[in-house]
Amino acid sequence: MAKSNPPFMSGVPELLLLRLLDRREMYGYELVRSIKEATGEAISLGEGVIYPVLHSLERNGSLKARRKPVGGRTRVYYSLTQQGRGRLQDLQDDWRRIQNGIETALESPGHA
Amino acid sequence: MREPDFNDLAVRLVHSGIAPRHAHRTVNEIRDHYDDLVDAAVDQGASSREARLRAARELGRIDDLVAEMSARRELKTWAFRYPRAAIVVYPLACLAVLPVAPIYAGLANMPLLARWGASLLAAGLFTAALLLVLQLSILFG
Repeated sequence: MAKSNPPFMSGVPELLLLRLLDRREMYGYELVRSIKEATGEAISLGEGVIYPVLHSLERNGSLKARRKPVGGRTRVYYSLTQQGRGRLQDLQDDWRRIQNGIETALESPGHA
Repeated sequence: MREPDFNDLAVRLVHSGIAPRHAHRTVNEIRDHYDDLVDAAVDQGASSREARLRAARELGRIDDLVAEMSARRELKTWAFRYPRAAIVVYPLACLAVLPVAPIYAGLANMPLLARWGASLLAAGLFTAALLLVLQLSILFG
């Protein structure tokens, strides 16, 4: 899929998907739109790339999927499980730790 | 960019070892996603052809999706995750199943088997009775 973000973004789609699904259940297209909207299009994921991530998260028990007929189509809606909430908390903690580390490094000119 | 070939995507995912339930669901989800992108482009005033081209571009290359799926070991079938074990386990499983298969087939078709057995028994008894009558007629005839 169209890759618009560098390799260090690895793990970010997972974090964003879990964060959005913590609010309510959504299907793939809706998730991609929500990511663009929530990040002010700063993070633009390749549209098809989220499906492997969603399936992996479902496989490891972080998400559950259910089919729902909507307007003549059967959508697959994803929602967060209890295990997924734990995973989200871990990822958020990791992300904040890295963010603080980078900010500290950027603010001290002698080390950056 | 060409319109995505979803049948080709399904075949390639299965060939790369993705479990069929993940492969088929992914294809259905991607197809729906593509249709949503086309609808959105048409709503924005694009012609049908233009909308399809734009949707295909936004969806991205099928090759990249196949590569992304194939990189995730957890989505693959058991045989693709543990190929060496599969080489040993599958033939042994076949050997174990072969003798059990006729028994299972018999149990699954129990009423048919019972009717067949009853018919055979009736035919045997009838033949035995005829032979007995014949034997008696020879002895006392």
